[in-house]
Amino acid sequence: MASMKEIRNHMKSVEQTLKITNAMYLISSANLRKARQQLNDVEPYFEKIESTISDILYHSPEIEHVFFDKRPEVPVEKRTTGFIVVTGDKGLAGAYNHNVIKLAEQKMKQCSNVKLFVVGQSGRTYFQEHGMEIDTEFLYTAQNPTVTRSRDIGELMLDRFLEGSLDEVYLIFTKMIDSFHMETLCHKLLPLDPKVFKKYREDTHYRQRVSYVPSTKAVMNRLVPGYVKGDIFGALVESYCSEQNSRMTAMKSSSDNARDMLQSLRLSYNRARQAAITQEITEVVGGAQAAQ
Amino acid sequence: MDNPKHFYLEIITPTKQFYTGPAQALILPAVDGQMGVYANHEPVVTAIEPGQLYYQVDEDWQHVVVGAGFAEIKPDYAILLVSTAERPEEIDFNRAQEAKQRAEERLRQKQSIHEYYHSKAALARAMARLKTRK
Repeated sequence: MASMKEIRNHMKSVEQTLKITNAMYLISSANLRKARQQLNDVEPYFEKIESTISDILYHSPEIEHVFFDKRPEVPVEKRTTGFIVVTGDKGLAGAYNHNVIKLAEQKMKQCSNVKLFVVGQSGRTYFQEHGMEIDTEFLYTAQNPTVTRSRDIGELMLDRFLEGSLDEVYLIFTKMIDSFHMETLCHKLLPLDPKVFKKYREDTHYRQRVSYVPSTKAVMNRLVPGYVKGDIFGALVESYCSEQNSRMTAMKSSSDNARDMLQSLRLSYNRARQAAITQEITEVVGGAQAAQ
Repeated sequence: MDNPKHFYLEIITPTKQFYTGPAQALILPAVDGQMGVYANHEPVVTAIEPGQLYYQVDEDWQHVVVGAGFAEIKPDYAILLVSTAERPEEIDFNRAQEAKQRAEERLRQKQSIHEYYHSKAALARAMARLKTRK
């Protein structure tokens, strides 16, 4: 049996860890409440933008526009694929970062040339440690997503796409389905592909073409950047919310574990204490008997 | 929507659902001027410029200042996805004035093309806000 001192030291360290995990639990649950509010606000926009774009594409099948150009003339081995990977800024969030990174690595294996744009410190460190080249000027944090930040990211992607240094852009993020389920998704951002949008509305009575005012090109020039911006913003908000949620669950279970551990440690501490007392009494009694 | 003169209008921004409900008419700031929409409009997709938007509910004209975005118009509904939407009473005149001055000042500096567009957009937003508060 471990000595009393050893057990006491162990208990102290567990207590200190418990303090930390408990504090992190409280912080992340406060953050989660804020993030979820933002998610509730942004979700209708996010869904609407997807369904509207899908509807527009559905009603105008043969759009010719630079954002729809799949560049079939570029051979597979020369294609450059950009990945925007949204991870958290900190670890200690269960499998959250791990899932994102795993999916990113899996997707990256299928592409010949890869450009990585990582949001969040923990993904950045991981890819740097593993010797993967990431865009070093792409420094965005995952915390408190804003529209301005997503606008900047979107503009960068559109610029790279238009100048030809990226042929495809994917967005890897975590979607929060409910408090217990999160899903890591890979979403094609550019070029716009009507096939990736699921059909939202099956209305048969508006088969007629949609007209574009003033012209298809002018509308698409506006609509696609707006869509990309909205999509990125939605992904950032979803990811931030998922991160807080998984940190909260991870910290809750580790706090629970620490409490369980403390209980069993307290039990063995009391046992050790009892044993020590008993031994002392036996020694005293034994000594007294020997003196008689 | 039983009344054939009504259509379903949605004005949505990233931060809130500004308006969802029936409307009789809508005037929106399109790229080449204002555009009016009644029920049974032909299907149109158009871009929205920062500016003033009006919609009519129960004979009342509602006034909104919107940011850039786009609209999908169908015979029985219209969906507007815009970056911002505010009622005139929510606008702070002084703030808008300051924003306008800031944007003008920035436009005088040498900027990258993106910064130029951002300042231009900021200026357009500020102008739209000021116009409604005069």
